[in-house]
Amino acid sequence: MKKVLAMVLAASMILSLAACGGSKSGSQPAEGTTAAAASATTKTDPETLNVYLASEPAHLDPALNSSVDGGCLAVNSFEGLYRYNSEGKLEPACAESCEVSEDGTTYTFTMRDGLKWSNGEPLDAKDFAYSWKRAADPANAADYSYLCEVFGDKFSYETGLADDAVVASEDGKTLTVQLGAVCPYFLDLAAFPFFFPVYKETVEATKTDEVPTGTWANDAGDAFVCNGAYILQKWDHESSMVYVKNDNYWDADSVTVKTLNFMLTSNDTSAYTAYQSGDLDFIDSVPVDETAAAMKSDEFKILQQLGTYYIGFNYNSKLYEDLGLDEEQAKVFRHALSLLIDRQYIVDTVGQTGQEIANTFIPKAGADGNGGIFEEGTEGYFPLATTEEEMEANVEEAKKLLDSIGLLGEDGMVNKDVSFTYLLNTNDAHVKIAESIQADLAKVGINMSIDQQEWNVFLDTRKQGQFDIAREGWVMDYDDPINMLEMWTTNSGNNDCQFGRDDSKALDWSKYDDLITQIRKEADTAKRTELMHEAEDMLMETWCVVPIYYYNDPYMLKSYVSDVYGTALGMKYFYHAKINAQ
Amino acid sequence: MVKYTIKRILLAVLTIIVISMITFFAMNAIPGGPFNSEKAASPTVIAELEKRYNLDKPVGVQYILYMKNILKGEFGVSLKTGRKISSIIGESFPISAKLGLCAAIVAIISGIILGSIAALMRNKWPDRLIVFLTTLITAMPSFVMATLLLYYFCMKLGWVQAWTAGSHNIVLPVLALSLSPMAYITRLTKTSMLDSLGQDYIRTARAKGVPQLKVIFVHGLRNALIPVITYVGPMVAAILTGSMVVESIFTIGGLGSKFVSGITNRDYTLIMATTIFLATIMVIANLITDLVYKLIDPRISLD
Repeated sequence: MKKVLAMVLAASMILSLAACGGSKSGSQPAEGTTAAAASATTKTDPETLNVYLASEPAHLDPALNSSVDGGCLAVNSFEGLYRYNSEGKLEPACAESCEVSEDGTTYTFTMRDGLKWSNGEPLDAKDFAYSWKRAADPANAADYSYLCEVFGDKFSYETGLADDAVVASEDGKTLTVQLGAVCPYFLDLAAFPFFFPVYKETVEATKTDEVPTGTWANDAGDAFVCNGAYILQKWDHESSMVYVKNDNYWDADSVTVKTLNFMLTSNDTSAYTAYQSGDLDFIDSVPVDETAAAMKSDEFKILQQLGTYYIGFNYNSKLYEDLGLDEEQAKVFRHALSLLIDRQYIVDTVGQTGQEIANTFIPKAGADGNGGIFEEGTEGYFPLATTEEEMEANVEEAKKLLDSIGLLGEDGMVNKDVSFTYLLNTNDAHVKIAESIQADLAKVGINMSIDQQEWNVFLDTRKQGQFDIAREGWVMDYDDPINMLEMWTTNSGNNDCQFGRDDSKALDWSKYDDLITQIRKEADTAKRTELMHEAEDMLMETWCVVPIYYYNDPYMLKSYVSDVYGTALGMKYFYHAKINAQ
Repeated sequence: MVKYTIKRILLAVLTIIVISMITFFAMNAIPGGPFNSEKAASPTVIAELEKRYNLDKPVGVQYILYMKNILKGEFGVSLKTGRKISSIIGESFPISAKLGLCAAIVAIISGIILGSIAALMRNKWPDRLIVFLTTLITAMPSFVMATLLLYYFCMKLGWVQAWTAGSHNIVLPVLALSLSPMAYITRLTKTSMLDSLGQDYIRTARAKGVPQLKVIFVHGLRNALIPVITYVGPMVAAILTGSMVVESIFTIGGLGSKFVSGITNRDYTLIMATTIFLATIMVIANLITDLVYKLIDPRISLD
């Protein structure tokens, strides 16, 4: 009787499960993907690469995409005039060569012969001319349309790109581009997804009133036509994407992995589990809690990334008035706060992936637009403290500064109530960094409270300048300092520090605006670099922008996969990947 | 009965309209917007997008325009992705529904069987075992359950893939979703079964020589199921409309995740459509529950 009962108990569960019918995949694991595969050195299916980048991308249309993961999908399925190779250097892609006029403002691209779209139709310079004009079209309202400012007077937000800015020759063999001024990073833009070609026929055919950009890239299907290494075959929204090799790609011979699968989730723990159980070969992020353990693995890799994690002070905050500080004193106050922050502790305990601590706004590895490295030979804006002694020296210096504005008491603590709020979006890492800064400031009696806001609310609050201090971060879109300098002009949507937005202040920020305009027009690249240094100096002298560390980009890749590479801009290239090559 | 049903349907429509109104004004009142991002787009770009989706008009006008479109059966497009709302729901709801229905079936069948066994074998070891397990499961939230299942079956044992491109393995998510309601149904069935087995009519039936099995299943269980049905209606609606956490852990693109990502992105059209859709299902499930009551137990008066 007991035995029967036990069986009934078990059967009731199994039966009711079976009643639902099996799913397509069933419960049998595919070959080579059992738990044992976690430590495998070869893969049973050497033609499929399983990848996790991030959650569902908002757009696969390269002109509309504005996320890094969406950019990764774009560079693996579309291709521009130029592309990055495994050394991170630019090389001709759809273009065969490029000639630049003497004054540096006219680029003439000669197209590669025999280019085809994924559907077999021919692709030439005319497709690029169409695509660029479409990308800049105000009706498309693309986030990245500001990139078109390099066309100078030939671009406006209201009318888009002028006809003579991008001209394709009658035979489609050459593309002539007329820029507004010298642009040392223009070839980087030629490799940037915003300037990738899109297939006119299906773009135009899928336009609707509600979606004037066309719905061609909203799903897999005949309308999704591309020109890169892989073509979208299946898209299970918020679950997975299947890309297969595009045989019409000009460089198809060098593509050995036939299928590229992407896991789409915002849950990086699930992705990490899938990686460990062998269901994924590449993950672009590791859960914060697992980082320390994951770093011990040979499969853990770190890429340099051009970006800076920093905190931003609201220049117009009432805090300074309340403390009785004028604008100059407020700068000294912010300078002191910057010195009090123990950056090394932050990267050691929160960042954890060996980030380099920062004392410049432009990342250390960033180019200068004149063939060199921008921060090479500069000392940074304050001494970096990596040891305890150096940190103590910084704290002493900070105290001197506080003393000079009458804020320091004899006991080495602030002599009045200095309280303000640090604004951030709810996120474990951000909160831990804030708490570390909070503890640093508390050592001199400064009372910083932490205000966590939901992501979208945070963006609004910060943009509107309703904060004292806020978490900030910027990863460069292209490798030129102007990308991180032009965001601080008075009317820029990213001027979170609110420079020049309060007329009652003595700060004359129009000088900065003029400087940026001058940089954009400067034909002499050496002079241009100099002007950019001037702009960074001007920005840093406000002490509103306080760098913490330079980003880096950790990822994990199975040991049986080789030739996956990435750039310092966050892009990952899978089309030259090889499995079991060793 | 007919009069009652009509009254309930009218009330249901009213409920949905009120819900849509509250949602619309509440979501517009909270800070943030659909076109916010870490790197801000230019103001002209944002103005163009707001114009395209009528967001430059007063909220009241927006609501009227929105409801007009709904009556025409048009839910619009997602502000974030430009995909049609109807196809977003059309794709994700079947996934959630399949998962939810399976989970509901598992929970109901095994819950009733286990509950009956526990009641019939009261204070013997099967009863004790069932009580122990159900208490344990009830105390465990579904996301803990889901994580544990993922950890053991995918990572430790390697029986099931944690993720496969292009298909879903539903066994683990169904388990994760069904265990908690199953435990509840088991306890509910046991209690009410014990209650109904002690009733006079059971003694009468037995005295009249009705076979044991018939007494248990026809006289006992049928009456014992009334409280279970009360619970099952809302439960089915709840798991049918997707469980955000379980879907996220098992990377299943169901409706639950759309609801949450809609709110995070301030994707107004997606928030409205999912809210109205979920509210409708809830209201319908409650209505059906009330009507089924009546069929099972004629003593219940609906009017």
